[in-house]
Amino acid sequence: MPELRKDPIVGRWVIISTERGKRPSDLTIEPSKSRGGFCPLCPGNEDKTPPEVYSLRSNNSQPNKPGWSLRVVPNKFPALVNEGELNKRGEGIYDLMNGFGVHEVIIETPVHEANASTLTIAEFTNILLAYRERMRVLKQDKRFHYISVFKNYGEVAGASLEHPHSQLIALPVVPKQPLESLAGAQTYFNYKERCIYCDIIRQELSSEIRVVAQNRDFLAFEPFAPRFPFETWILPLRHYSAFEETPVDKFPTLAELFSSVLKKINNALSFPPFNYMLHTSPLDKSELEYDHWHFEIIPRLTKVAGFEWGSGFYINPTPPEDAARYLREA
Amino acid sequence: MKRILVVDDEESIRLLYQEELQDQGYEVILAGDAEEALLKFTETNPHLIILDIKMPGRSGIDVLKSIREQARDVPIILSTAYGEYKQNFETWASDAYVVKSANLEALMNKIREILSCR
Repeated sequence: MPELRKDPIVGRWVIISTERGKRPSDLTIEPSKSRGGFCPLCPGNEDKTPPEVYSLRSNNSQPNKPGWSLRVVPNKFPALVNEGELNKRGEGIYDLMNGFGVHEVIIETPVHEANASTLTIAEFTNILLAYRERMRVLKQDKRFHYISVFKNYGEVAGASLEHPHSQLIALPVVPKQPLESLAGAQTYFNYKERCIYCDIIRQELSSEIRVVAQNRDFLAFEPFAPRFPFETWILPLRHYSAFEETPVDKFPTLAELFSSVLKKINNALSFPPFNYMLHTSPLDKSELEYDHWHFEIIPRLTKVAGFEWGSGFYINPTPPEDAARYLREA
Repeated sequence: MKRILVVDDEESIRLLYQEELQDQGYEVILAGDAEEALLKFTETNPHLIILDIKMPGRSGIDVLKSIREQARDVPIILSTAYGEYKQNFETWASDAYVVKSANLEALMNKIREILSCR
């Protein structure tokens, strides 16, 4: 019989198919074809991007010229703009404000064909440190309340370019999903005086059935009530609520585990399209006892349709215990 | 006289742009699809291109990438009714992005701004 499982943080129910769980081979989808042609993110085309706001480059290279190993640039055609006032206002019962924000693109490597399986641990560390550095800089602007960091890989997952990149959007409000997670975590903390994520880590390490991988600083596991097959979370074992406040010396072990998990997903599911998103605390709440930053990796193997949109329920055809086993063995 | 190639599958838009651009003193070349755009680009070597994104057959993005393979510096202004293309980083190969409007002031200002830097 299928199971209804409840996410302990946000209270969302999911349907898990426990009888005939789909295996990786049932879920594999055709990788999107290379589109080729001119790439504005490749070395030599720096003039096609806005001036870089952060880069790692060889000593003798000039900004906005070749010789870089990672660049962060503002979005050339941003949906939000970093100018003017918020001008918060109401129209009757409706709230609105000016479209203020910052949208940056992290160009992860000069190698157009690179992917999570080919990047070295050092390169992956630099990507994660770039997120941290940009968050710390943007945090100085008190108009921002949240920074969303995410990666789209593959056309199905929303990537418009093959060149490896991730994105960061600084917002003047805390979005709905982090708010819901925060509210759930705070309710749990008020009742038990413990961080729910720390409790989840303890329980997952104890049972091991949903653990994918771990090292001395981080844990990767399949959540108990995942919305999607092979949804995988990576959390620091020690309690940190704000990603950007995490000590730099933790980043190589984060990169090691993150890279290992992405390689496992690529091996098990033949390089699926995926998204990963950083869940972190709002910028003005850096030391929360009840929040715990983490990455959520979502391989894009199933479609979200009317039932999910209408109910907030998700149907997951692969039990997380099976997914964890497949990924451990991949 | 500066030559501008206007690429749009809608004839009414092509004619609107042509009239306004000619009034502003530009020579105008028109193309109605991707193939014609690439042909006219090679034949006429324009100083600037106004390029629609959503066209039947090959899209404006395909045209943009093809032209960039041949000429990385010719200014290209994307003109589209669809704001969602801002999410497509392939558009970064262009120089500007203008949302289509009956009021051509923003487009004309952008053309002047780009050509004055050349």
